[in-house]
Amino acid sequence: MRRPLFAACWKVVELRSSIDPLTGEVTPDHLSLGVSRSDEAALEWALRSAARWGGGVRLVTAGSAKTEAALRQGAAVGATELLRVDLPIDWPSDWIARAVAPHLADADLVWCGDMSTDRGSGAFPAYLAAELGISQALGLIGVELNGPDGPAGSDGPDKGLGFEALRRLDGGRRERLSIGARAVLSCEGATTRLRRASLDGVLVARDAPIAVRVGSRGTTVAPAVASIAPFRPRARVVEPPAGPTARERIRSLTGADAAGRTARAITLNPREAAVAILEALGSWGELPAGLSGERAGDLP
Amino acid sequence: MTERFDVVVVGAGPAGSMAALTLARAGRSVCLLERGPFPGSKNLYGGVIYGRVLDEILPRWIDEAPIERWVTRRVTMVLTETQSLAVDFRSSAWGAKPYNGATALRPEFDSWLASEAEKAGAVLVCSTTATGLLLDERGRTTGVRTDRPGGDIEAGVVIACDGVNAFLAKQAGLTSTEDPSHYTLGVKEVLALAPDEIERRFGLEPGEGADFEVIGGTGGIAGGGFLYTNRETVSVGLVLSIEGLSRSETRPEQLLAEFKSHPAIRPLVAGGDVVEYGAHLIPEAGLAMMPRLAGDGILVAGDAAGMCLAAGIWLEGVNFAMASGAAAGEAAAEALERGDTSAGGLRGYRKRLEANFVLADHRRLKRAPHLVLSDRMQHQYPQLVCNLVEEIFTVRNPSPKQGIVAQARQERRKAGVRLRDLARDGWSAWRTFR
Amino acid sequence: MSRSSESSPVAFEDRMATTEFRIASEPHISVHGDSCRGCTTRACVTACPAKLFVPTSDGGILFNYEQCFECGTCYLVCNTEGAITWAYPEGGAGVVYRRS
Repeated sequence: MRRPLFAACWKVVELRSSIDPLTGEVTPDHLSLGVSRSDEAALEWALRSAARWGGGVRLVTAGSAKTEAALRQGAAVGATELLRVDLPIDWPSDWIARAVAPHLADADLVWCGDMSTDRGSGAFPAYLAAELGISQALGLIGVELNGPDGPAGSDGPDKGLGFEALRRLDGGRRERLSIGARAVLSCEGATTRLRRASLDGVLVARDAPIAVRVGSRGTTVAPAVASIAPFRPRARVVEPPAGPTARERIRSLTGADAAGRTARAITLNPREAAVAILEALGSWGELPAGLSGERAGDLP
Repeated sequence: MTERFDVVVVGAGPAGSMAALTLARAGRSVCLLERGPFPGSKNLYGGVIYGRVLDEILPRWIDEAPIERWVTRRVTMVLTETQSLAVDFRSSAWGAKPYNGATALRPEFDSWLASEAEKAGAVLVCSTTATGLLLDERGRTTGVRTDRPGGDIEAGVVIACDGVNAFLAKQAGLTSTEDPSHYTLGVKEVLALAPDEIERRFGLEPGEGADFEVIGGTGGIAGGGFLYTNRETVSVGLVLSIEGLSRSETRPEQLLAEFKSHPAIRPLVAGGDVVEYGAHLIPEAGLAMMPRLAGDGILVAGDAAGMCLAAGIWLEGVNFAMASGAAAGEAAAEALERGDTSAGGLRGYRKRLEANFVLADHRRLKRAPHLVLSDRMQHQYPQLVCNLVEEIFTVRNPSPKQGIVAQARQERRKAGVRLRDLARDGWSAWRTFR
Repeated sequence: MSRSSESSPVAFEDRMATTEFRIASEPHISVHGDSCRGCTTRACVTACPAKLFVPTSDGGILFNYEQCFECGTCYLVCNTEGAITWAYPEGGAGVVYRRS
């Protein structure tokens, strides 16, 4: 059986920046280069995965050579392979995912942090899963690596590489997931804390080899931004409520009696779902003029 | 497993980095331990560095060190509640090579100096606290214990540059002082101001800096104040006797707020937003608190050895730290070469310090801390001298002017200063500073 | 643009918020409450520049360790042997000065 491979992806950014209150100019603090707590947690989960199932841990960063100090910190705690994909860090997430994906094609579980300190989009793990064509479980708030093995029916080299995790949903709800390899996972920083490197680890990591691959530029075009404006919810003009009593007027004003906004469960493919959502939003008057269900045909 | 180096230097401040740099250049394996995430992250000072000691060791320091401003204006000021009297010295010579003092931010400066040690071959290990010394059965130092797993490091020599609290020197039995009168507390605010605004307020050319040392202004607590200009910030702070502070009912930040609102200080700092606040102890007592500098397998340098000159008109520390660190590095290299790292084998350290300014300055000024922090120097004399100057310059027409000597006598009586004490303090100041 | 500094006194919490602290998982300060109950000076309460020591109504001392400048004033001014135990925090944790 092939040795499993676990990977962690780190976004190395300045943890502190100063912002000029007048001009809004951001000056990153060069001494604060590092990774977020959730990225650290991702590496810890990768290390624990390797401890659970055997195999190595590949730590990947994307960016310039200044991310290599962070890679060495990862090596100090036990990452066995270090890889830097050389690319400009301001690329959009899908380009970075496309550049990084080929170097993770052999990874069974890819752990990412769900948040970077520079408040990135958080879209990288999803794009990465899409590029790799494997499943994703994002925004984990609890991981149970030592539970019963694997989803039923999994076999082949991935057999046994399964565990349970808890994920945050809207409205304070939780989703318990049964996860099997291969998958991209992102976790919150509170799920665990990265172990402390041993002194020996720190000293050895100073000379750990770092593989560098040049990331090729993506081809997708970022959506054109027509304008940026503060968020101001559109005001809707409604008729003055009619009714003989205040209670009835309130009921009609709040739409408590109106039909149409009741929840319904439907199963659709993604494209039809998008159309349905736009139609519903349009019919509730939540979309600006010119963007409504009729333009759903423009969807890719 | 235990690591082994020729030398472990604890603390990557100015003393530690210079020690590590010197040893690495001598071909020794050196581990430079730093408990902060980067060198300088735990370090706070007033703000001026005198870099002359770097001229030989890092000849390009003037161009390469992260300097904020070169000090060309030095103001020594006496404050009473409502008055101020200053000696305002400017030198254009200090604004050109080779320069004199410079303001710098310690996180930048200390990181730079440690990177120079790394370039020379020292192994810098950050985020690692030395929790104690490794001692053999005869009490000789054989290494340090750190708080990392498997964190023991054996070494021929340990150079303790672990700062003012000097835990390692205490463990080695080189010092036992925990006398609070030996320490002062520095509290400091860093205020943001635009560079051209700083230059306007302090009357400076771009790139030039000012250094204000203030006697008084501490709300009756023994100590003083300071004001230094960085590139786009101003450091303002107080140095407070910690005994006086703990006896008083006033907290340090309140004292600092009062200092900032003094009419002589307010125009310089008004409107600056606080962008960082911090505090640090200062080893104030000089020679009186200095530990034994060498034990078997251990040397002590920098603040840990009390090598900070707090003598009224002179406030220096980083230069003493750098010079003592370099001397410790040289002495350790010499001892390793000879194969004798006992206290006797390491005596080259003291010899070097005797030969240069480090111990000479401390000897010469050994009485200064006591004198400067004395009650008369702190309260009566500032009041006396400010009142006298106020009298001299207050026009009381139609009354004729009085003779200055007569006025001086009058003010001395009003301030309750006895002639005997004045004479004695004058004599002791003469002996201290001559 | 210019506004006088005393017109906007900085709240203590805002003052402390200007400095970065990386919180260690273990406290590096410990206070032995029994010794504090008999203490008349309470020097640590006044002298600690980070205001970490707070007297409680029952005569004890409550302390924080998270926003410590790691100066050492508290154990030096404490007049009861062993009432305050103080060491440096875990490597990498604690105060991180950036403009000092």
